[in-house]
Amino acid sequence: MESSNKRNGAQLILSEDIYNGIAKILDELSANTRAETIVFCESNGYPVTYKGNVKNLDLPAISSLAANNFSATAQMASMIGEKGSFKFLFHEGKDKNIYLSNVGFSFVLMVIFDVSVALGIIRIYTKKSINDLVDLLKTAEEEDKQSKEFLDLEFKTLLGEELNRSLKI
Amino acid sequence: MFINYGLQEINLKIVFYGPGLGGKTTNLEHIYKQLDPTVRGDLITLKTKEERTLYFDFLQLELGRVKGLKPRFNLYTVPGQVYYDYSRKIILKGVDGVVFVADSQKSRMGDNLDSLLDLEKNLIELGHSLEDFPWIIQYNKRDLPNLESIEMLQSKLNFFGAPYTEAAAVNGIGVIETLKKSITEVISKVNV
Ligand SMILES: Nc1nc2c(ncn2[C@@H]2O[C@H](COP(=O)(O)OP(=O)(O)O)[C@@H](O)[C@H]2O)c(=O)[nH]1
Ligand SMILES: [Mg+2]
Repeated sequence: MESSNKRNGAQLILSEDIYNGIAKILDELSANTRAETIVFCESNGYPVTYKGNVKNLDLPAISSLAANNFSATAQMASMIGEKGSFKFLFHEGKDKNIYLSNVGFSFVLMVIFDVSVALGIIRIYTKKSINDLVDLLKTAEEEDKQSKEFLDLEFKTLLGEELNRSLKI
Repeated sequence: MFINYGLQEINLKIVFYGPGLGGKTTNLEHIYKQLDPTVRGDLITLKTKEERTLYFDFLQLELGRVKGLKPRFNLYTVPGQVYYDYSRKIILKGVDGVVFVADSQKSRMGDNLDSLLDLEKNLIELGHSLEDFPWIIQYNKRDLPNLESIEMLQSKLNFFGAPYTEAAAVNGIGVIETLKKSITEVISKVNV
């Protein structure tokens, strides 16, 4: 997803096939690490998919925080002369840890795990998953084109109606 | 914009921009309070000890399906203080639409203009420009005395003729109208 670095708000479209591919990779990661929750999100903070326990977890909110957390440290990296952003962020708690990794330029992988799970295990399997994800996502951009006809005039009109319906106060 | 066909979602990002203390956070607080929990998620605010926005506020809206796709809107505010320039740049990344919350008080005209120019500068870095970007202006704090007239605000700030609303966000007036108008503007300009 090299060119996604300069995406700057342009669109990113994920096909169902790619989505299923991601889900499979996360399944594997989940089985290998016994992580409590795994969240895969887009680098602007949109959750893409997750595995494990998300009860009481506001997925859009935590994805937004994770992604912006990464963006903030990327800025720190550039300030100290690092090229590119940091590869991962590790947040250590009393009961739970969070391990955040960049996946290409456009995605972030968040692994939430119990402190009883060794960090080394998380690190090794996450690394493998990231490689798989990067390979898979390379094909995503080429598939972008198919979906453009979706957002036509009809869509815009219907969305307007839906807005009036749901934002009634 | 991010379309996820696996979840059949379309995600858009709308950023509330404007001078510090203009009422951006207040807008999000009212959207949160006024809308049904089935439509919106939790309100996340990252504040300083003095209750000022430190990094951003965040609120997600989720509408019912349209042509099979579920529209989701990620609403962000940025911190207004000049020295949080990096935070604003980060939050603007991937932006699909902007609500510029202007403070209508006469004394704040300079701050409004500075913030608008700062927005334009940051948009240009992202390859956009106010001239053709989906954005709207909210003239906020219309409940206060010593206000600039709408005509004056329009001529001083709205040089590209963007849609505008009048609001008193602290009383919840004009907030949902602003939100609707900005979504409509974003959607009408999505050219795919
Ligand atoms: N009188 C009045 N005060 C407002 C209005 N909107 C916001 N405020 C107040 O202005 C101050 C700053 O608002 P805030 O939302 O934190 O501004 P932000 O820095 O743009 O996020 C707060 O004390 C608000 O209560 C309004 O419409 N009228
Ligand atoms: Mg604020």
